[in-house]
Amino acid sequence: MRDLLSVLVTVFVFPGFGFLVACALLFEWIDRRTIARLQARVGPPWFQPVADLLKLLSKENVLPRQADRPICRALPVVSLAAVLTAALYVPVGGRVVYAFEGDLIVVLFLLSLPALFYFLAGWVSGGIYSILGGSRSVLQYFSYEVPFLMALSAPAILTGSWSISDIITQQAEAGWILLVQPVGFVLAVVGLIGKLKRVPFDIPKAKSEVVGGPLTEFSGRKLALWHLTVDIQTVAGIFLLVNVFLGGGDLTLLQGSTPLGLARAVTFAAKALAMLLILSVTSALYARLRIDQLASLGWRILAPLGLVQLAATILIGVG
Amino acid sequence: MTRVTIPVGPQHPLLKEPLSVRLTAEGERVLEAAMRLGYVHRGIERLVQERTYVQNLHLLERVCGICSHVHTTTYCQGVEALLELDVPPRGLALRTLMCELERIHSHLLWLGVLAENIGFSTIFMYSWRDREMALDIMEGLSGGRIAHAVNTIGGVRVDLDRGEMYAARRLLNELEKHVHDLLDVVEHESTLKVRTQGVGGASLEQVRRHCAVGPLARAAGLDRDLRRDAPYAAYDRLSFEVVTETGGDVWAATRVRVLEVFESLSLCRQILDDLPSGEIATRAPRRVPEGEVVSRAEAPRGEVVYYLRSDGSDKPARIKIRTPTLPALSLVREQLRDINIADVPAVISGIDLCIACADR
Repeated sequence: MRDLLSVLVTVFVFPGFGFLVACALLFEWIDRRTIARLQARVGPPWFQPVADLLKLLSKENVLPRQADRPICRALPVVSLAAVLTAALYVPVGGRVVYAFEGDLIVVLFLLSLPALFYFLAGWVSGGIYSILGGSRSVLQYFSYEVPFLMALSAPAILTGSWSISDIITQQAEAGWILLVQPVGFVLAVVGLIGKLKRVPFDIPKAKSEVVGGPLTEFSGRKLALWHLTVDIQTVAGIFLLVNVFLGGGDLTLLQGSTPLGLARAVTFAAKALAMLLILSVTSALYARLRIDQLASLGWRILAPLGLVQLAATILIGVG
Repeated sequence: MTRVTIPVGPQHPLLKEPLSVRLTAEGERVLEAAMRLGYVHRGIERLVQERTYVQNLHLLERVCGICSHVHTTTYCQGVEALLELDVPPRGLALRTLMCELERIHSHLLWLGVLAENIGFSTIFMYSWRDREMALDIMEGLSGGRIAHAVNTIGGVRVDLDRGEMYAARRLLNELEKHVHDLLDVVEHESTLKVRTQGVGGASLEQVRRHCAVGPLARAAGLDRDLRRDAPYAAYDRLSFEVVTETGGDVWAATRVRVLEVFESLSLCRQILDDLPSGEIATRAPRRVPEGEVVSRAEAPRGEVVYYLRSDGSDKPARIKIRTPTLPALSLVREQLRDINIADVPAVISGIDLCIACADR
């Protein structure tokens, strides 16, 4: 009975769904507020993301006649499920819902699923802007996903383990992977920006070109779930990078020491917030790129850099 | 690849005013664009014939929500020419001051719209914040931020006192610092450059063929500015440079407009430093003698032309307005051929269309 209760708490409260959703809304607020301050605005109050979500959830739910209703209804739910599941395998300050050897691969796979559902959403919802946005999102997917995967494979190869928890433990002994693979870290951050479709990679949903992109025809509850998906994807992506490159919740930079409880949580939160800050500042600093410019950035610069990083890891780090 | 038609407008996030552009595209490539106009036609040219010359001041101010003052300026100049009325120098100077403030506010507004449309919302926020300063000066001067009601036939209706001049100068100095920062960003920000350089290029030949005017023509290298070429109001007493660039792309147009803001700031200062004393207006008679006249002025978007005909009564017999957006619309159709869909926002906003002006 006790075991069951603790499992339920882990899955639904901390570090499970409840914590994730709270974190997602909090991160969205911090993000919006930071960008607003950088743009000489005041920004929304803390409850704005919650209010937005509730408002959308209660709004009318319409679809165009030519849309494929069952699929349109299923897509946001499935993609939200994918990111929530991914987040369950990502440790938060040492606590994790479920971990096993190879969970890094599962997380990477589950985190990349929403991009495909996003494309499908554009394809089946039957509007010209949706279709354009959808085809753009696939082009974008190929540009950022390859460097992102290479960047996150390098730490696994370096530590010789595909378990996120293992990678964290090894960093506690040998120092942050960021210090040995700074290029990989930059690639991962750029990849994450592409994944989250933030400025300057907000190409599939560029409102002055394709209105709302693949989500143009979505409204009400479905749109709310899409927004929540992106928010949770942001949280999961940031937590993943903190774990893999910044040593998770461990305090020290180089020397091994595993702090307990509160200290660990605070360290983890500080690192996650720093990552969020990087994302926010980036989106305030740049103009949106064109899809061909992103493709050439992805394949001419990011992918070769990722290859070099991988080769260096295999030749020097392990071999 | 199949051809698709992408409707841009009459309602679209890209457009701030209703205009319908139908793009025929293949993949990410735009092949052709077709336009429909007239969504904000209000029949102003007919309405002015129903109203007296003084009433028309308020109607013509509402032709445009951005360059409202330049419309009344052109109109007043025309009526004053028919009346053979001499406007006192102080009235002319104040009229010019408003024209230049309006240019500053229009160009900064445009920069914001362009930035927003290429996905650079930070520049949008900053340039619109700075634009508020120009609006504040105009509000202090006339009481109105957008519709100022400053012009009257024979001069202007509001005067500046010492305190207002001091406040205006202080705001101008502050504004200049902010615009320097904006210019710095425009010149050095790499993503802004890759999105505007080589986009929407209009050659000198194209500009001539479509009779394009204003910053758009000057960006292509056409050295033409009515303020210098056919001075009106107080421009013959002021010194300024006409900014030109080469290339005609959105990048060149951006530079022209931002640099013109500096010229306008300097013009405003010259007017404030050397404001003639005396009356601000002469009294105009109600009836205008028979005759016709063409009046021109350099609006923020280029030359605006008014044709006026009077039949000797207190109402105009005909007023025809030609706005700078008209030639720009025929040019933009040509520019929207064979480009990337992602460049459409930059091209359309680079032109600085004013649909309200064009439709009237």
